[in-house]
Amino acid sequence: MKPLTIGVSGINAIDNPGPGIGVARSLKEDAELEVTIVGLAYDAMDPGIYMDWVVDKSFIMPYPSGSGDAFIERLLYIKEKVGLDCVIPNLDAEIPLYIKCARTLAEHGIRTFLPGMDQFKLRGKDHLGEIEAKIAVSLPRTKVVSSVEALMEAVEEIGLPVMVKGSFYKAYRSFTTAEAVSHYHTLVAEWGYPIIVQEVVTGDELNVVGLGDGEGHSLGLVGIKKLSITALGKIWTGVTVKNEKMLGAVDEFIREFKWRGPFEMECIVNGDRLYLIEINPRFPAWSYFATGVGVNLPSRLVRRAFGLPVAPVPDYQAGKLFVRYTYELVTDMTTFQNAITRGETP
Amino acid sequence: MRKLSQLAVSAEGFVFNPATGDSFQVSQTGLTVLDGLRDGLSDEEIVHQLAEEFEVSVEDARRDLMDFHGSLKSFGLE
Repeated sequence: MKPLTIGVSGINAIDNPGPGIGVARSLKEDAELEVTIVGLAYDAMDPGIYMDWVVDKSFIMPYPSGSGDAFIERLLYIKEKVGLDCVIPNLDAEIPLYIKCARTLAEHGIRTFLPGMDQFKLRGKDHLGEIEAKIAVSLPRTKVVSSVEALMEAVEEIGLPVMVKGSFYKAYRSFTTAEAVSHYHTLVAEWGYPIIVQEVVTGDELNVVGLGDGEGHSLGLVGIKKLSITALGKIWTGVTVKNEKMLGAVDEFIREFKWRGPFEMECIVNGDRLYLIEINPRFPAWSYFATGVGVNLPSRLVRRAFGLPVAPVPDYQAGKLFVRYTYELVTDMTTFQNAITRGETP
Repeated sequence: MRKLSQLAVSAEGFVFNPATGDSFQVSQTGLTVLDGLRDGLSDEEIVHQLAEEFEVSVEDARRDLMDFHGSLKSFGLE
């Protein structure tokens, strides 16, 4: 098998970790894939840059804003320098640009395995109703608002408490209208419009990481429950689960929308009711959990993207435990200096 | 019954629900009740089994069983 050079972003393995390290580690664990991992970092202090047993070489990237010309140029430079064969973007903010530029990148020999722009938009918090209409999930009652007046009307209609959510990130539970207004202003200032006001639903919060082949088939799924989270809401410990209703709905989602690429689906299960809370169009930060239970989704993605043999969808066991932990490394300043001055590591 | 049969139960009484990720610990008495329910025994059969195994009165065993049913309901297992 030809050696492959794979670019992986989100190597910020910090207290709010990006998914990149779990993705890179999974690729390294496929004994039949000969991969060189190129870290695509946005900060010289991203820990992944220094984790040389997972990331072989790193480059500092420009932010994925504007037309994206500088971003593409940088990827082409990396291609020229180390021969980039494929990129797995793992951060929400860069996915739209990668989708937009997928063809250009492909023309330069850089593959991606992502949903189309229509699919990407569909999973926006303000478009989940279209998914509810086609698969067996319920949505908490939801209103999309862009003014304080509309927010107050939505709170009145839904009834307190409510969740007040930014369209990309963050969600706050509000027990009073005043609290909802305050969260509204915070979210607008940080993430802009619109704001989503949603009914609070109770039940078991379950998540799934999945990979669709773009033709309506699943390349693998793993369901989990987060047992403990950090102050930032990130998983610290978790357990694999097999909730038939949830896994069935995820399969239906892949089939119905012909989803291509990785995704994370967040659900709340209450008896026979399955509420869809969010879909993230990328690997979650806990992706290595799936690899650890035998479902190596990053490896299956790369194999699929390159037309390499992909084994039948593997099963996993419920009741496997995930424990995140902290670890430290000590190194000299050379790598940091190179990342700052040259924008790449030696 | 279907929900109970899906549970993973260890010999020490550690119970894991693979559909929800919930886990809990049951006492030896609870384990006997749970095993009985999973084996499809009737409440009366379980009550008599409890009374015999743990040397308690049938009334006490019946009360324990009712309490256990209450706990199962609160976990959404009945």
